[in-house]
Amino acid sequence: MLSRFYLSLLLLSGLVFIAFITLATYRELTPEWKKYQAEYREMLIKNAKDEAAREKARRIKIEQQQIYLAGLKRVDRCMNCHIGVDNPLMADAKVPFKQHSGDYLKNHPPDKFGCTICHNGQGRATNKKEAHGKGRDTHWDFPILPFKYIQNSCAQCHDYETLRHKGGEMVVKGERLFREKGCKGCHKVNGIGGDLGKALDGIGSQPIAYFPMRHVVGEQTTYNWLKQHYLDPRAIVPDSEMRVFLTEEESDLLTTYILTFRTTEVPREYRRIRYVPERRVDGESLYKMYCIACHSTGKVSVYDEILKRTIPAIMNPAFLKNADDGTLRKIIKEGRKGTQMTAWKSTAAGLTDGEINKLIRYITRERPDEAAEPFGFAEFKTDPKHGKELYDVRCALCHGEKGKGGKGALGINLTNPVVQKELDPEFLARTVRDGRSGTPMPPFGEEGLGLSDQDIADIVSYVRTLAQKK
Amino acid sequence: MGDMSGLSKFKENLLNLKNSFLASFLRSGRLTSDKSKASVMFNNFFLHIQGVKTHINTLRPTYTFGLGLITFFLFVIVVLSGVLLMIYYHPSVEEAYNKIKDIIYVVFGGRLLRNIHKWSGEGMIVFMILHMARVFYTGSYKKGREFNWVIGVVLMILVFGLNLSGYMLPWDQLAYWALLIVANIIQSPKEITDSLGITQYFDIGGFFKELFLGGTVAGQESLTRVYLLHVWLLPLFLFIFLAVHFWRIRKDGGLTKPDEFERVEGDLSYVSPPEKKGGLFPTYKTYGLMELAHGRTPAVDKDVENTVLSWPNLLLAELAVFMLTLAGVLVYAYYVDAPLKELANPLIPENPAKAPWYFLGLQELLSYSAFMGGVGLPGLALLGLALIPYLDREQEYVGIWFSNRQGRIVALQAFVVGTIVNIGILVFVVNLGWFRDWWPNVPQMLITLVNPGNIWVAFMIAWSAMVMKRTGSTRMGAIALFTMFLVSYVIFTAMGTYFRGPNWEFFWSKSQWPIH
Repeated sequence: MLSRFYLSLLLLSGLVFIAFITLATYRELTPEWKKYQAEYREMLIKNAKDEAAREKARRIKIEQQQIYLAGLKRVDRCMNCHIGVDNPLMADAKVPFKQHSGDYLKNHPPDKFGCTICHNGQGRATNKKEAHGKGRDTHWDFPILPFKYIQNSCAQCHDYETLRHKGGEMVVKGERLFREKGCKGCHKVNGIGGDLGKALDGIGSQPIAYFPMRHVVGEQTTYNWLKQHYLDPRAIVPDSEMRVFLTEEESDLLTTYILTFRTTEVPREYRRIRYVPERRVDGESLYKMYCIACHSTGKVSVYDEILKRTIPAIMNPAFLKNADDGTLRKIIKEGRKGTQMTAWKSTAAGLTDGEINKLIRYITRERPDEAAEPFGFAEFKTDPKHGKELYDVRCALCHGEKGKGGKGALGINLTNPVVQKELDPEFLARTVRDGRSGTPMPPFGEEGLGLSDQDIADIVSYVRTLAQKK
Repeated sequence: MGDMSGLSKFKENLLNLKNSFLASFLRSGRLTSDKSKASVMFNNFFLHIQGVKTHINTLRPTYTFGLGLITFFLFVIVVLSGVLLMIYYHPSVEEAYNKIKDIIYVVFGGRLLRNIHKWSGEGMIVFMILHMARVFYTGSYKKGREFNWVIGVVLMILVFGLNLSGYMLPWDQLAYWALLIVANIIQSPKEITDSLGITQYFDIGGFFKELFLGGTVAGQESLTRVYLLHVWLLPLFLFIFLAVHFWRIRKDGGLTKPDEFERVEGDLSYVSPPEKKGGLFPTYKTYGLMELAHGRTPAVDKDVENTVLSWPNLLLAELAVFMLTLAGVLVYAYYVDAPLKELANPLIPENPAKAPWYFLGLQELLSYSAFMGGVGLPGLALLGLALIPYLDREQEYVGIWFSNRQGRIVALQAFVVGTIVNIGILVFVVNLGWFRDWWPNVPQMLITLVNPGNIWVAFMIAWSAMVMKRTGSTRMGAIALFTMFLVSYVIFTAMGTYFRGPNWEFFWSKSQWPIH
């Protein structure tokens, strides 16, 4: 006689075991892709034109589809479900049976390229959710690319000249936006560019965890992060200083382009890049590439809420009249410490002397012929105390008490090291005397608001005492 | 039978195949008599590790709850499923992750197999600790079983090591950052050598970290080492120590039982009593010569009456527990997938980078003091566990849960007081911080010596000393200490698992974590 207790335990556990082994086997035998393949076969049988085609369709085996791409180090199993992707009969079928749109597969045969090299997603996965890599719980960093960004994949193998004519307009437009919106004013690419923002190299290959996803609306993907961040940087990164003003469409285009910055390169045999000689870059292009994000037209000087300071109008004739090439070169090369202005010399942000000269020529193209009348600052005997009295009455309204500028102040902060140390007092004195037309700075000289040259010299000497305390 | 042709002999042998094969296999004829049932046990290589007869106490489900057996069966499952996984797995940093993905997505039953492997491995930890608690509370570390308890502690270390090394093999983010945490735990003696200013001459932490990682950073060499530990070295030691563990149980006369054992009516639902069919001696005298050998092995005197034949009683119970274990693992593995995160990326730290759950108690201690959490306190705990049988040598009440009424009260008190004090310490630390938050320049040595972890351990020891003094019994002191140890293992682990978020800060739930 056997123990009832252990016998029932054995039988019950055995039943549970058998039940779950059966369930598990059933689950293994009926993955979702098998249903798709069966449906595909049915469609082929139903739509067959003749008996031979029907017979052929009947013989289609339902089996694991996989493309092994040794060169690309990928395994793509997408065709487990997207089984009709290379079948012309499936041109009008519904997804996932639909034939691939366009004639892309003619030049990109799936057995050589696979799918994920263009579309992203998790090629090894064999169920929809994980293959598409959607949702953070799939732990896949490169979910399937939305169609509006798909052209970034083309740029892995094709150059922009080809793409411009052959179906890569969006990434080409994105590249243009990148050049003309001054992105490199703050972001380095290949070591060239400003350093206010993060370097962009490899940004398209960064895992999702690299991006702070907290404020992203909708799916937490790199794609959505980039786009929403272009539309409103501070909605995604609250303390961002990024100055970007793009429309919805432009944001999509720029996202498409930025995603081309990858750390991985496809093997040579896949690439079709014609090495066209680099375009000659003129001063205007350089200005757009590096300066425009902050200085915009360069004609007006306004307080910027994002950068929390007044951005000087560097193409204002009054400024140019006063600032000679040497001064400009010095500012551009060394930058302005204590401000967002980057040092652009070749050892810092990476511009060559030639490029800086082109920039200066572009900036100064509207410089008036006649140079400013010399002030002769050195000849004055100055009295900073008298200067302070005048400053408090005449200047403090815009430049703030003790020259500190401030939120909403019209004038620039005078305590910064450039005004204090690097600019010639002569330059300052002329600016006070002649003003800056096009900016709120009026001429204070005898022909303007009526200060004598002595008064101006006193004010300048006072301003020069306002050095920023460390 | 000279007139039979060779061919007819062959035919007869062929017809008789089933019986002759079974007879050669079992060597004891048909299992109808007690004698044959006894001989099948000691004639079989696999069965002879068990006695011919088994004490009824052993078969009472509420005595052992089958915990040790479950742990062993989980080990069997883990080995078999692990060998199957090895068919596909490849320990290279480029391929490991992809191989796991392939196991999940295209190997038939691969996802389930991996889940089974993972959950039986972690199940071993749970049931091993429960088994340890059973052995402790029934006083089964006494009367010649002292060293077997020590072997149990060694097995525990090996099981932790196996789980941990397996955690690192998928080479995903979890694996990589757990590897770094473990490397830092190994390096934690540096806290002491730094405080003493001798790190540059004697960097023992750094040495072992480099030995473990196979370099100064985690990479291919680390994975190779961890893999070898996981599939070869640790299992080998586990096999050896497990064999000794079982052998010693057998030599000590099977599982412990109370000195004054009373059969009760309900026992009949667990066992079938011996079918005694006459004979020269009464039932309780049926032992043979081998049962008179020196040692504790044979059951003598009246205990003979309380034993039943192992075949089929014990084997049925074992088979039932095995089936229960298998079914339990299968059901769990069917519903819960083993985690696999993104590919390991040294540039994207997990925040918080957490060790596997069974080490999160240590990680909590580690957040107070690296040396104490990483080496000091776990070392002390293991030493304390190993020494229990030598410091409590009272031989009474073996085989009785919690010894006696006083033991139950002591355990309950330790449980309640331990829970309150332990949580109290955590509440204090979370709300008020510790020395470093109050005096930023306090010497590290002071924190190493005085930190919440040490204070808790000191409290446990003080409480147990007080119990010993009050009751005059080392066993009572041990019960108090061990209970508090279990309580704090659970509480610290829960703290690290559920209430610690990015930068090891306190959060009521994961939903409050700042989403990175």
